[in-house]
Amino acid sequence: MADILQMKGLTKAFGGVIAVNELDLEIHEGEIIAIIGPNGAGKTTLFNLIAGVFSPTRGQIFFHGQDLAGTNDYQRARMGIARTFQDVRLFGNMSVLDNVMVGLHSRSKYGMLSAAFRLPQGHREEASIRLTAINTLNLVGLGQRADINASELTFGQQKLVSIARALATKPRVIMLDEPAAGSNVLETQEISDLAKRILEMGITVILVEHDMRFVMGTAERVVVLDSGEKLAEGTPSQVQNDRRVITAYLGEQEDQI
Amino acid sequence: MPHFIRGRGKMLAIATLVVLLSIVPLLGNNYYTSVLLIIGIHAIVTVGLCLLMGYTGQVSLGHAAFYGIGAYIAAILSKTYHVDPWLAMVVAIIATAAFAFAIGFPVFRLRGNYLAMATLGLGIIIWILFRELDWITGGQSGFLDIPTLSIGGFAFDSDFRFYYLVWGFCLAVMFISQNIVGSRMGRAMRAIRDSESASQSLGINATLVKVKILALSAAYAALAGSLYAYYVGFIDPPPFGFLFSIRLVVMAVVGGLASIWGAIFGAASVRLLTEFLHPFGDIDVVLFGLIIVVVMILSPQGVIRGLGDLWRRISRRLTPS
Repeated sequence: MADILQMKGLTKAFGGVIAVNELDLEIHEGEIIAIIGPNGAGKTTLFNLIAGVFSPTRGQIFFHGQDLAGTNDYQRARMGIARTFQDVRLFGNMSVLDNVMVGLHSRSKYGMLSAAFRLPQGHREEASIRLTAINTLNLVGLGQRADINASELTFGQQKLVSIARALATKPRVIMLDEPAAGSNVLETQEISDLAKRILEMGITVILVEHDMRFVMGTAERVVVLDSGEKLAEGTPSQVQNDRRVITAYLGEQEDQI
Repeated sequence: MPHFIRGRGKMLAIATLVVLLSIVPLLGNNYYTSVLLIIGIHAIVTVGLCLLMGYTGQVSLGHAAFYGIGAYIAAILSKTYHVDPWLAMVVAIIATAAFAFAIGFPVFRLRGNYLAMATLGLGIIIWILFRELDWITGGQSGFLDIPTLSIGGFAFDSDFRFYYLVWGFCLAVMFISQNIVGSRMGRAMRAIRDSESASQSLGINATLVKVKILALSAAYAALAGSLYAYYVGFIDPPPFGFLFSIRLVVMAVVGGLASIWGAIFGAASVRLLTEFLHPFGDIDVVLFGLIIVVVMILSPQGVIRGLGDLWRRISRRLTPS
């Protein structure tokens, strides 16, 4: 399988704190990969580096073999790298549908002039934006809630809208930052199913998640980060039985599990 | 869709407004006409500020500068260089928008309070330039004998005539703004206001959107400024100073920051209050400070929306359940 993303010697330091350290990592096209690790392992920093929110201190990131250096977050979103946030960040004063329609911003192009004078181009594009947004919202099962204010949704629903919003950008790869955090067992199962459906759409999925049952039931491959370094990599069961991983999570105790 | 239902009531309100506006000058009272005319000019600037502050979430405490630049360019070109006043107005609008576009990129590296301070400083600098470049602007003694607009042989040389011109422009600006707000661009603006980082993660170039809206609002301000210059026939620095910037913010806040048509209400409230309080000196400035505080606490969505909510609450209480 070809690699959609490659990290080579990726390093990010904040002052003296090294959040990601000399990381080499390949993400294969068409897989669901989970990135796990204790708090402060550098998982979200890695997402921010891939998304272009931070630029690396050292090292490179390649997307479809192309060096991403010098591109910023909105450019990477347009290239097909989508992400969600741990703290969701929905547009709280907009309707659920509008939130998803914002996701289609870069996939449409009519400008201020067409808008100001209601030129036909705007009308046409707007109709297709709306239709695509409704379809995307249906995909996460929230089509019925299209017209209510995004801030009126439950936390779990907000997470789903933020995934729909990211999907609306028509990405090649999507990074989900703790999609199941704060969700109950049923919702967690739905999100797991959703991740698999996203994969079926031909979109590579990268997850950061703490819920181990979710990770084991969803991801095909798991990478464990600790203190910004790659500790282990493999199938869920390989990683689960890796002694270094157990130590990182539970501390130095023999015969713990 | 609830948006559509509200749209219907809105159309009715707009139609009423247009009828009322067209009747006023026919009453033959020049004072009312001129007050309403000024309200129209101020409303044009206020809408731009609403787009920038209310919809895009970016503060400007220096908008009087764009208003002034528009006024001075139109005045100087038409008087000193004998350019046709319409052409001078177009040049003023384009030049002011271009200026705003250019300064937008460095200015929007700043956020929140820092952005407020930068725009405040910018407004003051421009105002000082109006005052000190006296060989171009006439300085403190002002700039006299600005020609007025005319079409063919028809000159907009009376309050009555100019009134319809101003409100024609004002309503056009309102409709254009309403269309923009309801478009792809409007969604991007609101997205940036609610979460800039999330908007960028979806492929929106937030800085570019902000700069474009700043330029658009500067264009509105320049349109209003040149109309003001042609209407009064004389300009000097005071109306383009810091106090007017603050007054514009009050207009936007009272009308509802994220409300296009509220801008007219906001501009009217502030103007009328100033007229009533005129005999008492500068007390209106104190009152405006108070109004901002009260409106932001009680009804941050503007006075009209606040009154609507209050009415709904009262009628609900009065209806026996």
